Amino acid sequence: MTEQPQNQPDEALVDLLIKQATEGLSAAEQRTLDALDSAVASAYARDLERAAAAIALAGSTDAPKLPAEFAQRLAQQADAHFAGAAAAGNAIAAGSASGADRKIVDLEAARAAASAARVQPRPLSRTSVIGWFAAAACLVLAVLGWMRTPQAPIESVVQVPPVVAPIEKPLPLTPAEERAALLAKSDSLKITLGATKDPGSTGMSGDVVWDPATQRGYIHFTGLLANNPAVHQYQIWIFDGGRDKRYPVDGGVFDVPANTTEVVIPIRAALMVLKPAAFAVTVEKPGGVVVSGREHVVALGAAG
Amino acid sequence: VSIYHYHAPILAIFPAEIARPSHTFDPVESTLALDPNKLTRQLMSPSLLQRIASGDSAAVRECIDQYGGLVWSIARRLSRTPSDAEDATQEIFLDIWRSASRFDASQGSDKVFIAMIARRRLIDRLRKTSAEPPMDPVEALEAVAWADPGTASETSIEAEQATRALAELRPEQRQVLELGLLHGLSQSEIATRLSMPLGTVKSFMRRGLIKVRELMNVEAEGVGARL
Repeated sequence: MTEQPQNQPDEALVDLLIKQATEGLSAAEQRTLDALDSAVASAYARDLERAAAAIALAGSTDAPKLPAEFAQRLAQQADAHFAGAAAAGNAIAAGSASGADRKIVDLEAARAAASAARVQPRPLSRTSVIGWFAAAACLVLAVLGWMRTPQAPIESVVQVPPVVAPIEKPLPLTPAEERAALLAKSDSLKITLGATKDPGSTGMSGDVVWDPATQRGYIHFTGLLANNPAVHQYQIWIFDGGRDKRYPVDGGVFDVPANTTEVVIPIRAALMVLKPAAFAVTVEKPGGVVVSGREHVVALGAAG
Repeated sequence: VSIYHYHAPILAIFPAEIARPSHTFDPVESTLALDPNKLTRQLMSPSLLQRIASGDSAAVRECIDQYGGLVWSIARRLSRTPSDAEDATQEIFLDIWRSASRFDASQGSDKVFIAMIARRRLIDRLRKTSAEPPMDPVEALEAVAWADPGTASETSIEAEQATRALAELRPEQRQVLELGLLHGLSQSEIATRLSMPLGTVKSFMRRGLIKVRELMNVEAEGVGARL
C-alpha cells in the first residue's frame, strides 16, 4: 500500500474538495468534509478554488460591460453598506465602555449622528439619506441586541447583521413607458417587423426593441387582429445567433383584445439571449408550444 | 421538457490554437516571459481591494467599473434568469466589500479573488434553489473565448496560467471543465449530457483542476524566486 505524501490529502478527500470547488457540496458531504478536514485540506481546497476561478477567468474574456444603471445601483448599495459598517464600528468602540454604560454610549452615538446631521443643513442627497438610514438602523439593532442579552460579550454587539438599505427601484412603468425608455437607449436593438403572406398578417405593422444588457424587450403592434384566447394565442420567438436556428427561444404568448388597435407586449425570453438575430410571431394553441410548426407566422423581422 | 440536445462537435467549441496538442508548458520559459518589474510594482502598490479595506471610497467605484463586467458575466452564466443574475451580482459585491480586508496579494490577484467570491456565492445560490442546471445545454454551443496567453495586459496572470494548463489537456477534458466551471453543470449533469460515465467526468474534472493548480503553484514559486 502506498503511503500518502504528508502535504497531499487522500483520494476521498480530494474528490470532495474538487466537488466543493466546482459545484458545491450537499449537507451530508459537507459534514463528511468537516470531519476529515485538516490544515493540509484547507490549503488544498483554497488552491483548487483558486484554480477553478482562474479557469472561469480564462473563459470570461468576453465579459460584457455592466449596464450603467445597474452599476449606479451597486454604487448606492456600496455606500449604504459602508455607512452601516461605519456605524457598527462606532458601536464596537462604544463596546469598550462597561455594562449599562454601553447602552448610553450607543444612544450618545445616535444623538451625535443626529446632531451631525443637524449642523449640516445642506439638502441630503439620495445616497446620503440611504447612508443615514442604514447607520440609524444599525445603531437601533445594536442597542436592541444589547438589551436582549445584557450579559453577552462585546462580540454580540459586533454581530449586528450588515444593514443594507433597500435598493431604490423606480416606480413601475407601463409597458408603453418602458418601451419608450428602451427606445431612447442608444445600445438597444430596434427591429421593424414585416408582414408575411399569412392572412393574419394583413394590415399590421410592428416593431421590437430589445436591450441585450438587461435582457428586456417589448414588441409593439398596430393593426394586429384580435384573437380568441380560448382558441389561439400569439407567441413570440427570438432567433439567437448563438444557438441552433431550428430552435428559437420562446418569448412568451400574448393576446390582442377585441377593439384594440395598438398593443405593447413585454417579451419574456425563456432563456438568456446572447446574440438576438431575428424576432417572429406565430399563431399557436392557447398557452403556446415548445416547438412551433410555423404554419402561421404573422410577423418577422431580422436585426440589421 | 427540453427540446435541446447537446451535439456540438468538440473541436468546434475550442479555438484551434487551444486545441493544438503540441503546446507544452516549460516553467522556466514561462517564468522568464513574465515581467518581474511589473510584478514588483503590482506587489508593492496597494491593490484595489486593499484600498477598499482601508476605506478608500474611490476604490469602491473603481472596483465596480473594473470588475462589474466580469462579475456580471460569471453571474449570467451561472444563473437561471437575468433577474437571478442581477440579484447574484448585488450579493457578490456585498461579499466583496465584506471580504476585502481578507485579501492577500501574495496569494493571487484582485481579479482571481473576486472571481473566487463570485463563484462561491453563485454555487451557494444554485444549491439553494432547484436541481435544474442554470442554463440550457445549447448555451454550450457558444464558442468560449479562452484567454490568449499572449495578451498579458488584458488578462490576469492566473487566467494565463489556466489557459496554458488547459492547452495541455485533451479536448474532451477541456469540454468537461468548460461545462462544469463556465456553464455551471454538475458532474452528473455533464455525464448525462455527454453520455459519459460519471467516473470519467470526475476523473477529467479532477485531472484538469489539479493540472491548473499545479501550474499556478509552480509559476508562483518561480516568480517568487526571481523577485
